[in-house]
Amino acid sequence: MLWSGQVMHLAARRAAEFGVEIKGPVRFRMEKAVARKDAIVRKIQKGIHGALNKRDDRITFLRGAARFVGDHEVDTGDARLSFAKAVIATGARRSVAPIAGLDTVKFLTNRSALELDHVPESLIVIGGGYVGIEFAQMYARFGSRVTLLGKSPRLAPGEDPELSDLLATYLRDEGIDVRTGAAVAAVRAEAGRHRATFTVAGEEHEASAAVLLIATGRVGNTDNLGLGEAGIEVKAEGFIPVDDQLRTSQPHVWAIGDVKGGLMFTHVATYDGPIAALNAVKDQGRTVDYRVVPRAVFSDPTLASVGLTEEEARNRGYDVAVGKVPAGGARAMAIGDTRGMLKAIVNRADQEILGFHILAAAGDDLLHEAVAAMYHHGTIDRIGKSIHVHPTLSEMVKSAAKAAK
Amino acid sequence: MTHDYDLLVIGAGQGGLPAAHMAANLGAKVALIEQAEVGGT
Repeated sequence: MLWSGQVMHLAARRAAEFGVEIKGPVRFRMEKAVARKDAIVRKIQKGIHGALNKRDDRITFLRGAARFVGDHEVDTGDARLSFAKAVIATGARRSVAPIAGLDTVKFLTNRSALELDHVPESLIVIGGGYVGIEFAQMYARFGSRVTLLGKSPRLAPGEDPELSDLLATYLRDEGIDVRTGAAVAAVRAEAGRHRATFTVAGEEHEASAAVLLIATGRVGNTDNLGLGEAGIEVKAEGFIPVDDQLRTSQPHVWAIGDVKGGLMFTHVATYDGPIAALNAVKDQGRTVDYRVVPRAVFSDPTLASVGLTEEEARNRGYDVAVGKVPAGGARAMAIGDTRGMLKAIVNRADQEILGFHILAAAGDDLLHEAVAAMYHHGTIDRIGKSIHVHPTLSEMVKSAAKAAK
Repeated sequence: MTHDYDLLVIGAGQGGLPAAHMAANLGAKVALIEQAEVGGT
């Protein structure tokens, strides 16, 4: 769906720059974009079922909602089954923010917002994190007039402040009304429209739109698991605390992925899965290492990062060298996108890469050069001195590395 | 005491699936249960 937004953006706003002439209006067909997304999801799911079927000698796939009825037994709705050990991988979902009036209005979440059959004329997105940013830009490109309300002083709080500010500028350039430091006090429906009142620096404002999308916090999917029956501790937000081997308070039960809270990324869940299995089946006592977990906001340009920000590195006492370059160069010019900036954060004492932050076209892919280097405590020279293909966007990564003096 | 399964994996998303496959590859008898769609969200 994000890619549909990208194609729409290029076709509707930029085609002529590339010598592509489009006669007549460019129209976005939401139902076709949703159908395309659904077809891709179905293909992925078919692959998953295929892999499970190949392994049906050892994996029994069951449909149902498991509920613990003891520490070694669950009720699946159809039957009860007993297990020696268990892994909880139920994920997390959007939580409903404590905003007055939210229980009286209809709103979209990141899931339902991918199932619309039309493009709303206007949209208020509440939440300035990853999901809020991605949906705000996507809908703006589909043709909605979008207001993005973020509670924190910056979008994507926790990311490099300079890159975050730049991204906000680019979103505004596309016509999105980005408000940061905006605490939403109340929402209401009036004459078929949604209105949100919010304060910025003590001053009250109001936004109105046809549709409201809530992209605030998350809660663990544990409400109906019967964790108490199994003696598994759970926190207030539904997240399950685990130790560094992913073991819950119940020694024969592990929890992986989003349901344990913390770094809620699909790639962390995929990393966790085999570790929990090795510990559960072979008692290997493997521990997780989250030192190098890449992150990406799938905005355009993409905001992608790994490791420490400059501020975090300094706060930890490192003498830091920062390699900072604007996104640019031959390839960026060729694709018509020189927006953004790259920053390498390096420990001056031993030249180890402590962090890498990229706001650029394809930043999410570019990041992995730094990820791979950091995994083995690599020095910045690995990137700065190795030969990069010309002309590629990856040359920008090398430039940032060379700039870290 | 014997159980129906060596390992029960609750949730067939991007965490549960690799957990189930790894456990199966290690020789465990695995049950994988999912209430919605495989692959997660």
